[in-house]
Parts: sequence; structure tokens; C-alpha cells
Amino acid sequence: MARDPGVLTTRGRVTRGGLVGYAGLVYVFLFAPIVLLVLFSFNANQVGTFPITGWTTQWYSQVFSDPDIQDALRKTLEVGGEVTLISVVVGTAAAFPLVRSNLPVPAVFRVALTLPIMIPGILIGISLLILFTQVFHFQLSPQTAVIGQSLYTTPFVVLLVAARLEGFDRSLERAASDLGANTFNRLRYVVLPLISPAIFAGALFAFTLSFDEFVITYFIIGGYNTLPIYIFTQIKYGITPEVNALASLLLISSIVLMGTAFTLPQVLRGVRRLVRRRIAERQIVDPVGEATV
Amino acid sequence: MSEERELTRAELLKLGGAGAAGLGLYLSGGSALAAQMRSAAARSTEGVTLNWLTWFDHYFPQQLTVTKKKTGIGCRTKLAPSDSQIYTTIRTTGSQFDIAAMDALWVPKAHKDGLTESFDLSSIPASKQLYPDARHISIWKDGSNTMAYPNGWSTIQVYYNPKFVKTKPDSYDALLDPKYKGKIVYENSPETMMAFGGLATGAKQPYDLTIAEIARAKAWLKKWKPNILKLVNQNTETVTALKDESAWIGLGNLGVELRVKAAGGPPIKVAYPKEGLLGWFDGEQKVARSKHKDVFEQFMNSVEGQTAWIAKNFIANGRPMFNEKAYKLLVNQGYKHRADLFNYSKPELIFKAHLQGPSKNPQAITDAFNEVFGG
Amino acid sequence: MSIAHGEGGGGGTVVSLAGRYGGLVPAAVLFGLFFFIPFGLIVCFSFWQDFDYKVIHHWTVENYRYVFHQSAYIRTMWATLWMAVAATGITLGLAFPFAYWLSRYVRAGLQKPLLVLVIVPFWTSYLLRMYSWLTILGSKGVVNTALEWLGITHRPLSLLYDRPAVIVVLVYLYFPFAVLTLYSSIDRFDWDQLRAAMDLGAAPLRALRKILIPQIRPGIITAIIFVFIPILGEYLAPQIVGGTKGIMIGNLIDNFFAGAEYARGSSVALVVALFIVLLLVLFRKSLASKEAYGA
Repeated sequence: MARDPGVLTTRGRVTRGGLVGYAGLVYVFLFAPIVLLVLFSFNANQVGTFPITGWTTQWYSQVFSDPDIQDALRKTLEVGGEVTLISVVVGTAAAFPLVRSNLPVPAVFRVALTLPIMIPGILIGISLLILFTQVFHFQLSPQTAVIGQSLYTTPFVVLLVAARLEGFDRSLERAASDLGANTFNRLRYVVLPLISPAIFAGALFAFTLSFDEFVITYFIIGGYNTLPIYIFTQIKYGITPEVNALASLLLISSIVLMGTAFTLPQVLRGVRRLVRRRIAERQIVDPVGEATV
Repeated sequence: MSEERELTRAELLKLGGAGAAGLGLYLSGGSALAAQMRSAAARSTEGVTLNWLTWFDHYFPQQLTVTKKKTGIGCRTKLAPSDSQIYTTIRTTGSQFDIAAMDALWVPKAHKDGLTESFDLSSIPASKQLYPDARHISIWKDGSNTMAYPNGWSTIQVYYNPKFVKTKPDSYDALLDPKYKGKIVYENSPETMMAFGGLATGAKQPYDLTIAEIARAKAWLKKWKPNILKLVNQNTETVTALKDESAWIGLGNLGVELRVKAAGGPPIKVAYPKEGLLGWFDGEQKVARSKHKDVFEQFMNSVEGQTAWIAKNFIANGRPMFNEKAYKLLVNQGYKHRADLFNYSKPELIFKAHLQGPSKNPQAITDAFNEVFGG
Repeated sequence: MSIAHGEGGGGGTVVSLAGRYGGLVPAAVLFGLFFFIPFGLIVCFSFWQDFDYKVIHHWTVENYRYVFHQSAYIRTMWATLWMAVAATGITLGLAFPFAYWLSRYVRAGLQKPLLVLVIVPFWTSYLLRMYSWLTILGSKGVVNTALEWLGITHRPLSLLYDRPAVIVVLVYLYFPFAVLTLYSSIDRFDWDQLRAAMDLGAAPLRALRKILIPQIRPGIITAIIFVFIPILGEYLAPQIVGGTKGIMIGNLIDNFFAGAEYARGSSVALVVALFIVLLLVLFRKSLASKEAYGA
């Protein structure tokens, strides 16, 4: 639906070519610092910058033998997954009333939902710390960190989905209900698919924000570490390229994972087609099944 | 139309209810699990895991692995940005942490405010490896006990690139020279920057300035501001700035010149301002509200007794440790020259420096700093 | 005309109210329990006093009086504001063509992977990516080395440790946010409308301006919110690449917290937050633009 089939004019083709070139430049811009990052993970000197004083894989072996950094990574992914789930569910649910129900003074709700983004993370962290330890008497753990991070990430999901819902053509829903769909089916087959880009973007947002989140997490995760905490707190003497090595590994893993996730359906489809064709061919040759394998 | 409305509402209600229930379950699950873990930990000393709030250069993960194998005591470390953060964290989180590191004069403050408990150093056999001066640190004494197990120390001095800095900057006032406009780096630490100002303007205790001294230090800092290129986040940035020569002068802990050289940078020299040096020494404290106070001595004994790792610590991080046995090991390993370069065997020197500690006017310090460096 | 509009003010039963606002319940629980109590605490902090690394419950407006009287904070706030405006404008300007290209010219199956590719750089380390910029813009960095090698300059340009460097890095950091937001808004747009307009004689750019932009206005506003507001609170980017000349208000606030001065820190932070709230209220009409589409 998104691809515009009508780009046949010369002007259209030039525009498209120009935009493709532009997109290429954008990717170069986005990945240039990353390329450097990966480069320095092989740098022999402890301060990961130019000049390259020598090539080594010691930092990679350090990553694989460092329980602290592996632990931090595990916690980061654990927290990230939970935060994404909570943000998407809570955020999407909240977006509907925000846009569709006639809330009294909608601006108040919007501002209230956006407040966590406006307050410095360190303030949220400290006040949550006091709340958890002195009011609720929770023991600090990755779960308390998940709550804190969700406060910060959910507004993003809410606003994204709400923005999408704003421009939503209700006549599609009306048509569906005219054709007999109940609310659940309307939601499932009409609304949610059409706002799915916003939900997908929201999930990406939530996970990414959680992955980089340091300040709030630091205060309310107790004795545990996430990756950002581990990296940021090596203040007095600074980080070593071990962090670069880890970052490079993360990069490769995420690219491989994404690549798999996106090409797997195609691969499966191809396999299925192949299997079906084989079966069909055998039917033609041996319709009754007399021949044995 | 109203039928639609009914269904829409019901659906949204379901969604909302499910979410709320889920959240409730999740939360109670989290704290129930934590409560379970707490009581489980208290039931046995085998399988105890301590929470250690410290700086990353106080240990190697391998040290903790060895300790766990030998004593059964596990450890989770949490790294802390500064003394005031450690102080606040321990105060607010109660029994979350069992061991907390701190610098010099912060230790007596934490003890006085009831955050830590002193202990008998001589009951820890590994303490015999320490220099005698470290075993009897007067400001850490509490009767016959001590408030913290000594770790390491460093002074803060001036590092400069002789290619651009022709006269050795042997006083803080020399750093005001307009020749060095935008060529000096240091860490973004309001207390230490103001302490430099204090030293330059004749304050007696640079880390604990009086209001009048703060005003004078602030004025000095204003004069110094144009020469500051950058207030860094980590020491790596100081090294980087000196390496690519965007900075000619950097202040920092011992070892900067070695790090710049190892990073492929130009030769750097050291200067010791005549007004005096700032410095710190740190140690590990027993947190008063910890639930595992009884294993503190056993744990410290095991970690601090791994002399080989203490020696490696010096090599990796470049500043002296209070462990004398490690010095002998370093000499055997051929590092005598480097150890002597940093006065490893002369810990008494650090007690002559102006020691890091809390201020009686912390707000005024930050105010002054912000007023100088804002906008 | 939406169904919601047709309902008018008729509420009535508890069930109907619950159904209508039920979606807000999880959010209300999450924020009510865990944000508004702490937020109340923050407000109290701002009216209390810092003393000896603690906050004592002594009510005072001294913190606010201090902030408004110190020119350093006003100057920094002003600088932060224009840097945020510049960074937001550039970010959106750069992100829009990209999001437009992705929605309109890219095959449906390829869109999501390309979108994820935009955000993949984030899954490394925030700090490391900023340090990489030191290497790119530094005096012996990539840009300078390239310029000298090409013979365009003979001495290294000082690109770092000033406000432009901060703006560049901020654009880099927030570009994916803008792309994600704009994309989720542009996607599913009916491109036939543009063609119809051009058939009727409109120039392509005018068609874009008059037809596409109004319909994705909520998305644009949201993108501005996602970029502008967090930038106002940024302190790491200015600290690492901005030097002493690129200080933003976030740095000053962070200095307070680093020294355990929560009362002062809270008051400055709340002043900034209040300012943002004012902006949101002023622009509330643009935020809820139901008329733009006119179903």
C-alpha cells in the first residue's frame, strides 16, 4: 500500500533517484561513528582512538571471560524486553481514550502523560529511590528498574500511537461494523493493522531507550548492573576497548537477528513452495501411490 | 450505534483491566521474589552474595571469582561516580549494600553519620601486607578499630606537553597564562575545580572552603575559565585530548603520562605546583545496616590478600596501592622503575597532600562553580 | 465525522464510562503509583533546603529566587533553547525526506528492515558513539585528516568543543527518533491524493505542502516533541563534545545532583519543565488536530 506505483515520469524517476542517494548518505552518516567504534575494538592501545598502535583481539577475549560485563548485558536485555512489553501494552491502551473519548481538558492528560520526558532522569531516579526504599519498602532489583524505565518510555508509545490514531479514517471502521464486524474484530482486523507501524515504532523506541538508559536505572536497580551503568561508571580511569568489542558484538548480533527475522518468512515460504511442488510432481508421476520410495 | 459503543467500551475495559491486573501481579511477584531471596540469603553463610559499592579500579573480576571459590562468598559490584553519591546511596538504600568505598575525609563523616561500622584491622590477616603507615591512618581511627580497609592513593598534578609549554608550570597561577587559552582539560568535578581555586588563593583546606574562601576561589576560577578547553567525563578524554594535542595541559591522577604514551601520544611531563597538591586515598567500609556484617572481614581478607592481583592493579591503573607485599612482587617482576616513579613505596607522601573530603558548604561550592561555568 | 463526536456528552452508566476510559487504567496505575508521588516529592524538594548533603524539610523559596537572579542560569537557558531549536529544526529537516522516501518509494517488505537499520547503531553504546564523534571532528580526526589530505586546509580546523559540534552530535543522536515518528505517520498515506492534485494542475511541492503535511501534522508535532524536549535536558553530549563553550542547562542541573544538592537541582529542573509545559499548552491546538483530516 505504501509503495507508489505511479512513479513513471522522468521527474518522478529523478526524484526517486535523488532520494535514494540521499538515503544512502543518511546511512553513511549514521554508521560512520559505528565503523570507527568497531575499528577501535581491534586497537592495541587502551585508549580507543587514533592512531592504531597495533592490532589485537585481546579485547574480544576479555569480553568472553568477563563475568561482570556479561552479567550486565543479560540484565540489560532482560530489562529491555520487559520495558518494551509494558510500554507497548500500557501505551497503546492509553492512546485510544486520549484520542477518541471526549476527555475533559485533554491538554491536561497529554501534559501529564508527557511529564516524565520533561523531568531529568536523575530526578525521577532519586525520587523513585526514596519512594521504593522508604515508602513501599521494596528491595531494589531489575524489576524496580523496569518500572522506572517504563515511566520514561511509555509516553513515547502513547504519543506515537495517538498521533497515528488522530489521522485515522473512522469511516473504515464504520464500514467494517456495517458489514457485521464486532468491536474485537474491528480492532483486530481494521484498527490495529492500520496503526501497527506506530506500535512497531513504539516498540523500537521503548527498547532502544531502555537499552541506553543509565540515569534512572542507576538509582533504582540496587546492586545490579546494566550495560550503560557498567560503562558510564568507569569514571576515574576510563573505559577500555573491551567496551568497543562488546558493542561490536552487539551490533553484529542485532544485524544478524534482524536479518533472520526479516528473511525467515521468505525462506520458509520458499521451502514450503518447494515441498508442495515436490509433492505435486510425485502426484503426477504416481497418482495412486503404487511406486515405493 | 449504541451497540457499537457498548462493545467498544467493553473491549477497552477488558484491555485496561487485563493490563492493571498484569501490572499488579508483576509488581507483587517482583517484591515477593525479592523477599524470598532476602530470607534465603540470611539463612546460610554459604552462598552469601555481598553487594559492594566501589570504584572499578578496586578489584578485578578474577579476584572475586577466586574469593567465591575459596570462601563461598559471592560478590556483586556496583560502580559509583563520586563520594557524595556513595554517601547518599548508602543513606537512602539502607541494607542494599554491604561494603562501600570512600575517599580520605569522607570516611570519618560516613562513620559519624552512622552509615558505617568500624572494625579491627588486625583481625584481618591480609592487613599484614599493608605498609605500617596504612595500618595506622589516624583520621580513620576509631579507638582500636579502623573505619576502612585501605586500598590505594594518588595525588593530582599537572601534566603538560613540553612541545607547546616551554616553561614548567610550577604553580596554579601559571595556568592562568593567556598563552594557554583553551588548552587545559580537567574532570567535571565542581569540588576539585574549586579546590584548585582554593589552593591558588591560599585557602587552608581546599576541599572545605569557607564562604569567603569560596568567593576568592570563584574569582580565580573565572580568570581560569577561558583557558579550560573541556571538563571531561572520564580520564580517557583527558588522555585523548593530550594525545591529539588539542590540549597542552591536563590535570589528573598519577600515570597520565604513561597512558598518553601507551595510546601513541607525544611525550608528556609532570609538574607539581608549589602551592601544594590535592590528593586522595581510599578504602572499603563496612556498611552499618548490612545484613552480612559478619562475613566482611573474611571477604576483605580473601580479596585484599591476593597480592598478585594487587600488583596487577598497579600495572593496569597506574596509581600506588597501600599493599607493601605487592611492591616487592612488582620489583621481582621488573617494575621497580615504574613503581618508584610513582612513589609507590612512600605512602607517607599522600598524607601530606590536601585530602579529598566533604565540604561544610557543598551548596555554595556548586553554586559558585555553576556561576562560573554557566552560559 | 468520528463516532466519538457523534456521541456527544451522553455518559451515564459506570460500565459505559469504564469502557470509554478503560484504556487509561493501566497508565493511570503505572503513573499514579510510580510517577506522581515521586513528582510531588520533587516539587517538595524544590521548596526545601540543601544542607550537609541532605535535604532538610525547611520550606523556602530561596532556590527559585536563586535561579531567577543568577545570570549564569538565564544565559545558559537561553543558549540551550536556541541550540535545541536549531537541532530540532535540522533533525526534522533531514529526517523528513528520508521518512518520505521510505514510505513512498520503498517496497513494503523492505521498509521495516531499512527502518530498523536506522536504529541499529543505537544498540551499541551511547557513550561510545559520542566518543566516536571526538575522533571524527577532532584536530587529528577523520574530517581534518581528510581535508588536509585533499589540500583544502593546511592546519587542523577546530571543530570540537563549541556549540556547533554539540548541535551536530544532537542531530546525530535524535535523527532516528524523528525518522521513526515521521514514518509511522506518513505510512499508509494515500499517494493518489497527490496525483489527483497534480492532475488538477498543482506543482508537486505545493501538493506536498497542502495535502501531505496537514494530514501528518500530528506526526510532525510528535516528532518535534520527541526531539526538542529531551534535547533540553541533555548534558552528556554537551559535556563530551561541547567543551566549556557548549554548556547546556542540563549540565548545571547535573552538577547539583552530582553534589547531592537535590533541592537546588529540583528547582532548576522544574523551571525547565514548567517552561516546556507552557509550550505544550500554548501549542495544544496543533497537538489535537482532528480537523486536519476531516473524516
